[in-house]
Amino acid sequence: MSLIFILIPFIASAILLLLRPGGSRSIALFAALANLAATAYCLCCDYSQGMNCTYSVPWVASAGISFSLGMDGITLIMLVLTNLLTPLIIVSSWGRRFDNEPRYYGLLLLMLGALNGVFLAQDGLLFYVFYELALIPIYFICAIWGGQDRIRVTLKFFIYTFVGSLFMLVALLWVYLQTPGNHSFAWADLVAVQLSPAAANWVLLGFFLAFAVKMPVFPLHTWQPDTYVTSPTGGTMLLSGIMLKMGAYGMIRWMIPLAPEAMHILNPIFISLAVFGIIYASIIAVKQSDIKRLVAYSSIAHVGLIAAGILAWNKAGVQGGIIQMLNHGINVVGLFFIVDLLERRLGTRSLADMGGIAKSAPKFAALFMIIVLGSLAVPLTNGFPGEFLLLNGIWNYNFWLGVLAGLTIIFGAVYMLRAYGLVVFGETKTETANFEDVNSREFLVLGIIAGLVLVLGFFPQSVLGLTEESVERILRAVQL
Amino acid sequence: MTALLILFITAIVVLFVGLTNRKWLQPLALLGTLLALGATGYDLLGPGFGWGNEYASMFRFMPFAHAFSGVAILATALIIGLSGWGFRNLNATLGDHYGLILFSLCGALVMFSFTNMTMLFLGIEILSIPLYVLAGSRRDDPAGNEAALKYFLMGAFATGILLFGMTLVYGATASFDLASISRAIGNGDQMSGMLKVGILLMIVGLSFKVSAVPFHFWAPDVYQGSPNLITAFMATVVKTAGFAAFYRLFAIAFPGAEAFWSLPIAMIAALTMTLANTTALFQKDFKRMMAYSSISHAGYLLLAVLAIGSTGADQALLFYSLTYSLATICAFGVYIAVAEPSGDGTFAAFNGLSKKQPLLAAVLALSMLSLAGIPPLAGFFGKYFLFTAAFAKYPWLIVLAVINSAISIYYYFKIIIAMYFSREESAGEVVLPMGVRWAVMLGLLLIALLTLAPGSVYGLI
Repeated sequence: MSLIFILIPFIASAILLLLRPGGSRSIALFAALANLAATAYCLCCDYSQGMNCTYSVPWVASAGISFSLGMDGITLIMLVLTNLLTPLIIVSSWGRRFDNEPRYYGLLLLMLGALNGVFLAQDGLLFYVFYELALIPIYFICAIWGGQDRIRVTLKFFIYTFVGSLFMLVALLWVYLQTPGNHSFAWADLVAVQLSPAAANWVLLGFFLAFAVKMPVFPLHTWQPDTYVTSPTGGTMLLSGIMLKMGAYGMIRWMIPLAPEAMHILNPIFISLAVFGIIYASIIAVKQSDIKRLVAYSSIAHVGLIAAGILAWNKAGVQGGIIQMLNHGINVVGLFFIVDLLERRLGTRSLADMGGIAKSAPKFAALFMIIVLGSLAVPLTNGFPGEFLLLNGIWNYNFWLGVLAGLTIIFGAVYMLRAYGLVVFGETKTETANFEDVNSREFLVLGIIAGLVLVLGFFPQSVLGLTEESVERILRAVQL
Repeated sequence: MTALLILFITAIVVLFVGLTNRKWLQPLALLGTLLALGATGYDLLGPGFGWGNEYASMFRFMPFAHAFSGVAILATALIIGLSGWGFRNLNATLGDHYGLILFSLCGALVMFSFTNMTMLFLGIEILSIPLYVLAGSRRDDPAGNEAALKYFLMGAFATGILLFGMTLVYGATASFDLASISRAIGNGDQMSGMLKVGILLMIVGLSFKVSAVPFHFWAPDVYQGSPNLITAFMATVVKTAGFAAFYRLFAIAFPGAEAFWSLPIAMIAALTMTLANTTALFQKDFKRMMAYSSISHAGYLLLAVLAIGSTGADQALLFYSLTYSLATICAFGVYIAVAEPSGDGTFAAFNGLSKKQPLLAAVLALSMLSLAGIPPLAGFFGKYFLFTAAFAKYPWLIVLAVINSAISIYYYFKIIIAMYFSREESAGEVVLPMGVRWAVMLGLLLIALLTLAPGSVYGLI
């Protein structure tokens, strides 16, 4: 079953890239929807007994590498995130004319398969391979269809993330070489290794570098705003909505379980960096005049909170981190779609040139409001339960860090409502007077996202229930 | 041994046929190499011919030698496949070209199987002398003549040093036979000064041959000046042969002295990767960039020599040589199709290739990604196996190697950027000759196979 999540996108992607058929958009959408259907099927499986839907064949038998996949509640939420957002991303790219469309959608599906692989992998090297494989398509997407200065920005992004992951590879190798016998990369074998205190520090640091670059956590975030701004919207959505969750997921599944011995030494530093990054990115976001850049910085702040919650490594923090990954993905894809809409209609991203859109586009203003409320974590929207649990988790770890992290709510209200006010209210400019309201396709995307914001806000238990047992199991297995 | 004989006979036949006929040369040479490949495969994977695997304690064809022979013969077959286009402008000497390439390959096979230092020397010479001629085969091209002369002088110099080292080792151990030398050295606690100097000189001589820093300075000029396919041959077959011989010599003859030679080789490896990668960053010419890239790969390959004694060191060397050779030949195949007609060898020649020839662009992009060691491509597994094998002995060197692979992205990606992201297009028309198409497709297919199933080669010997 789990193999399907990788096979469908890879086969469809190969068809698109090699045969270049017409109607590539429909093929891509069909493949993505097939994956969504498979995810829906997996929601009904039973995850109380540990990994389900496993699939394992030896890959390089003599080196103990196997192609092994499996699912538990945590993976499931990540699959929901990936396979729910990808069709939305494809539909949102629908209106744009790309040159060489089969290539664009082929790369997008390649990315989908790799992301699913990251979340499903139960073998250390397989995880690493998928983690890196996801980088290649997104690099091409951003560098081929990106905006100004795209070559320099995307190369910086590539090298940053690639170097980070290489440190993870070295750390992974170190743990692998400590496994008994002929060595093995299987998750359980790697977790069973007892590292010496010095080695554990290095291993933990290696993993942290890789994941902190990807998420990004302060001070390794410098690639992120430029890359988000330069990429085509589909690329930005993939990066912010799904790809950075690979880092957070990697922390839960790989980093902390593999080197828990060093957590009590290094974790205070990591978690302080994450909390500091929240405040730092929020302050910068308040001052932005470019709306895409503002959303990019807000994403750093939100992700910092997720990282801090996970690093606190208690039930509230980890569970909050997982559902917030899903919610942040939904909200940020919505926000970037709105940014794209504004940019395409007004030809600018500057907040100073906008205003008064509420009069000419009421439907747009209403949907935008719901998504903003979701990202502000207002009660009864999807952001609320996640942020509440995250703050609760950080609070349990350290009172003062919890207080500092709590500032994110205030800052978030400041910069999001400022942006919303500047765009939607105020005086109507000549450019915005004829602002066209959303068409049916755009309404569909924004409507689904706004609907998810409300549904997940009303029924957070539907997601929490899925992850609860898996989170408890991993916390029991890995005690600090 | 069967493969060696087939290649040798083919070479002679090709030489004679070349006197009167041009049309049948490439098919003949290809047929010979494919037969030899089949024979090697039969020896390695099948029951084997069971004869001639050992000769007068001079050489012994074991799985190690068969597997490396397979890599070298496969690389040569691909190069011969490309040669229909690559050699199209040659006049009367076409037969000599194929003959010399095949003779050179015979030398490589000897270098995979020697058990005696005399045979090592003979193998290196059989490999090198045809290449001195081939490097200068464009007689009216001054760059080619410079390359040939440099290659010859440096090669002769290196052989001299190597011979000097062999003499000293012989003086200290009273034998040319690898196993006897190993017995004489024992566990290495009573090594004479003569033996130490001998081993050092052999390291220097072999480092010249595999172009490791600081003995690499001939390589960029020679690579750039030689005809394109000969450069591809040097970068793949010669490099594979050099490293297999290096590995074989140190694994069989000098394992007892490891404490002595390990650190110097580690220093050479560290220097080689770092210097070659940083220099490659500044190149603007494709062949020169590939020359530095090939030097940097020599740095990684030295890790296999350092890992002697660890499990999987020979497997890693084999896998790496194969993936590196395939990617390099694919890259050169695209280069001769793109750059030869226009005469422009700089990166600018690749601008907009993805629109003009999507297949060539895709092949070159995947080769570059594989050379850079980006997962999940075969090149990544090559690096991974090498690094794992040497990790326990030299953690710091692995960290350095990892940093270097990150640096290498920068110059490999310049080509990808030119092909896919550049919005201007190079002026020249790009043709896609039949031979080039099949050779690069086959190369790509093999890279794909190694990507999906690395275990098909890793674990063979």
